[in-house]
Amino acid sequence: MSANIGIFIIRRIINAIITLILLIVILFILIHIIAPSPLALARIYAANPHAPYSELDQIIKEYGLNKPLYVQIINYIINVLHGNLGFDPIYKVPEISLIGQYLPITLELVIPATILAVVIGLLSGAVAASNRNKPLDYFVKGVYLVTWASPPFLVATALLIFFAFDLHLLPSNGVVNPTLTAPPKYTPFPVLNSIVAGDWTYFASLVHHMVLPVLSLSLVSFGIVTRLTRASMLDYMDTDFARLSLMKGLSRRRVIYGVVLRNASIPLITLIALLFGYSVAGAVVIEDIYHYFGMGYFITQAIFNLDYIAILDTTLIIGISIIAANLIADILYGVVDPRVRLE
Amino acid sequence: MTEQEEVEKTVPTQGIRFYIRALTKDPLAIVGLIIVGLFFIWGVIQGILEILAGYLRKPYLGYILLPHDPFALDIKYSLMPPSSEFLLGTNTAGEDILSRMLYAMPRDAFVSVAVVFSAIAIGGIIGIIAGYIGKWADEVLMRVTDAFLSLPALILVIAIAVPLKAGFDATLAGLMVVWWPTYARFFRAQTLKIKSMDFIDAAKLSNVSRFKLLFRYIFMNSIDPIIAYAALDFGNVILTYSTLAFLGIGIQPPYPELGAMASNGVDNLPTAWWYALFPGVAILIIVVGFVLIGDRLQDIIGGRITY
Repeated sequence: MSANIGIFIIRRIINAIITLILLIVILFILIHIIAPSPLALARIYAANPHAPYSELDQIIKEYGLNKPLYVQIINYIINVLHGNLGFDPIYKVPEISLIGQYLPITLELVIPATILAVVIGLLSGAVAASNRNKPLDYFVKGVYLVTWASPPFLVATALLIFFAFDLHLLPSNGVVNPTLTAPPKYTPFPVLNSIVAGDWTYFASLVHHMVLPVLSLSLVSFGIVTRLTRASMLDYMDTDFARLSLMKGLSRRRVIYGVVLRNASIPLITLIALLFGYSVAGAVVIEDIYHYFGMGYFITQAIFNLDYIAILDTTLIIGISIIAANLIADILYGVVDPRVRLE
Repeated sequence: MTEQEEVEKTVPTQGIRFYIRALTKDPLAIVGLIIVGLFFIWGVIQGILEILAGYLRKPYLGYILLPHDPFALDIKYSLMPPSSEFLLGTNTAGEDILSRMLYAMPRDAFVSVAVVFSAIAIGGIIGIIAGYIGKWADEVLMRVTDAFLSLPALILVIAIAVPLKAGFDATLAGLMVVWWPTYARFFRAQTLKIKSMDFIDAAKLSNVSRFKLLFRYIFMNSIDPIIAYAALDFGNVILTYSTLAFLGIGIQPPYPELGAMASNGVDNLPTAWWYALFPGVAILIIVVGFVLIGDRLQDIIGGRITY
């Protein structure tokens, strides 16, 4: 049994690595289709269409843009694996340090939002399934259809207007109250730092600023969980073990929320990775609205500055984190549900 | 012949007429059909007028049906709240928001149709080849599909459109490049299911050409669940397109675009709530229309509702 799961995990890891390398190759080929000549490519890399020739020449030498395509691809992959993502022409620092600064902030937003979305989705899906074709079911369906169909910026704007501007309950922008001094950097994550340092006012301010973006992100993405939970629970309600639990004399509530929901939530593990991807994409817009300085803010600034290296690297980093999330979900699924391993 | 087979024979379960009849039996789906129908009819009429206006160099043709000229700057009317003259208020430059929204809609309709149909075509070719040939072709094509699917469409379009100057054509091209992988997955799964059926063997024996076999026999027989997904997907395209516009990618000013209007509106909060909210609400209503239809179609094709 343990050898079995070992092979399963190794196969999934190899798959993830192949996907990652292909993603790099695809991104690479796409830029080369857009900018077929070394000079055009250098102009894009310089983030300046009117860069002087000497600067372009230097960029061509630095990135080896005049070498054959396959050499460039291999060099690029080696560079990426070494953590060398290029030099940002706008900020004048290595790209990796910028991403190291912005990525943790986005993760602090996206991970709680994904968890919250799963919790809301599971609960509302269970309620909908247990009240099938009753008013409560239709109500849940109405709510998730509307949040699902609404663009992320609409949800964020509506929450911003209501909670921040009308009720003055929550701050409208920023990551933290700028007048507070930050705790020392033990980890890249400000929340963990403040917990380790025991700086609870800083922690409270971080959480206070986090509520609205996290809420908007999870509202945008929970619909898909609700829908699948409902469908999956309806399937499981007809199974023998659900009937058996009822016949044993367990209350209907115990059967639905204990037995059926637990079984029906297993297939949702693979959904978490998808949800994570949704949240990352949503975070781009939502960070822009709340001026939350994470990857989304970084990428919006890069779009504005035509800073292409930053966009490419952000794309890559987001791709890597989603592939990693998928891998973890796959392995978890295999551990929880042995039938998957047999494929 | 059993009774059930007889029923299946008399009631068609395919074809446009069947879908329309099945859709019109559900009040929610009728609402969806009305929204989507109005959206596309408006898209065609206003789109033709806008093209004519540009072609004949008569700008007034472009806003002949609109309550106001969407490009009429007048600072006097800057940021007016909704009133009987300006139904949805005005923006910073004093332009009527309703007129600008109506002016922007044909482009959204065009983008959604173009992207979904190109995705069906590209995804169909790739998925059917992968499923039909199998072996190495399947492995290679599906790994590429996975690589595309590992990124949210929004991020990938940004990576493609920005070096192309982030204009409308670049955004459309980016969406087309990015949108097919889900369809490739669907078509591959359907092809694998259909490939081993008897009528494919019969077609092979009767010496049907390769193209006809793949198109007439496999593509046309696997399209049903894909139509249901595509109906939903029009909405997804509009959502992604307007989100891109919100980030400043897509049609550039002075031409109005729903996402870009919402973005400008957010900058004017908290004074002008109408400017930030109404463009988003318009997108919401359109997408809800598509979702209602898609949801219903999926129920019909999934066999959860029978007639």
